[in-house]
Amino acid sequence: MRLGWWLLSVLARALEPAERDVVLGDLAESGEGVGAATRNLLGLIVRRQVGLWLFWRPWLALFGVSCLAGLSLSRIVFRLNVDLYKYAAHYATTLTARQEVAFLLCLASALTVWSWTCGFVLGSLSGRAVWLTWSVFYFVVLDSALARYVLAGNIILRDPRTHETPLDSLQGALRLLMATTLPLSIAALLFLLPALLGAFVGVRRRVLTVHHAYLIAAVNSALTILTTWSTGWYDPAHLPARWPGVPWSTRLLPFLLASWPAAYLLACSLPTGSRPKDQTPLQPTPEP
Amino acid sequence: MLGEFEYLLLSAAARLGEGAYGAAIRREIEGATKRRCSIGALYTTLDRLEAKGLVRTWMGDSTPQRGGRPKRMVRVTGEGVREAKAFYRAVNRASRGVSWAAD
Repeated sequence: MRLGWWLLSVLARALEPAERDVVLGDLAESGEGVGAATRNLLGLIVRRQVGLWLFWRPWLALFGVSCLAGLSLSRIVFRLNVDLYKYAAHYATTLTARQEVAFLLCLASALTVWSWTCGFVLGSLSGRAVWLTWSVFYFVVLDSALARYVLAGNIILRDPRTHETPLDSLQGALRLLMATTLPLSIAALLFLLPALLGAFVGVRRRVLTVHHAYLIAAVNSALTILTTWSTGWYDPAHLPARWPGVPWSTRLLPFLLASWPAAYLLACSLPTGSRPKDQTPLQPTPEP
Repeated sequence: MLGEFEYLLLSAAARLGEGAYGAAIRREIEGATKRRCSIGALYTTLDRLEAKGLVRTWMGDSTPQRGGRPKRMVRVTGEGVREAKAFYRAVNRASRGVSWAAD
């Protein structure tokens, strides 16, 4: 029985703190059994979750951050993985070791900062719906680039013994999904940890102070410029046939898509910005 | 125009007066309708009524019976009373001459 009520209080964490206490008090007072209380609580949680999606903010989080910025971050995670693990093979390029390290540091730092910023904006925009928008973000970032390359035929996954591809069977496809979805690489961790931390802070703080927002925007801008600049000499040195000299504006676009949440954060923090409000109507108010 | 459940909630809150809060209103509604009233329906309707300015809610005292947790107190506003009256009159007018209203 006690375990049941403990589980109920854990479940109630899906509600805003003020409402959580009131509802748990009502359930205790009603003397209902754990089963009926759980049904009642779940009903309220579902209604609250659905209610969150009547506002535009979770939709912006889902499409603007989870999907749009997520697709761009996915390519960055994928390329950082490839760039890090290519050192297992010998690449004859004109780049010096310093240039190689500088580029990788630049890309890794940018990934970390962009992931934190995206996570924060997800938390800030989604509120209690963050579990959904963040999950979509996670899957998009870790899986979408590989899925796109595999489906386009750029990457062929084949078992050398059986000559079967993982996509030939449901079991193989699921195994591939598991392998790519688990954060098993350095690049995936550089995305996962800051994105988790950012979402955690974003749900609690919603808005940064102006000074912090300026700092985040400045760091984001600097890393966007550095990454765009460094890909200008790094890419042609590695794959001259594929990237003979892509103009800077084309190189900048995916990085801008990954870093736009920083501009949103700054806009929200300015005195005239539209501050995300708590979307649940219940707020503790003094007795009239 | 109020909805049926909104009217039930306003009536229960008005009847309870100073003692109107979530769990008590729920008991009143269940007693009046002889049907279950879910907490989800109660609180989402309460939010809607508050957004329309028909009720005012605030955090009340806690009691040991509630495990020390606060109540969400409810008071029907003047606008809420007017709306409830309008709904009641409309139902009365609509019921004139129908067989079940004669009982």
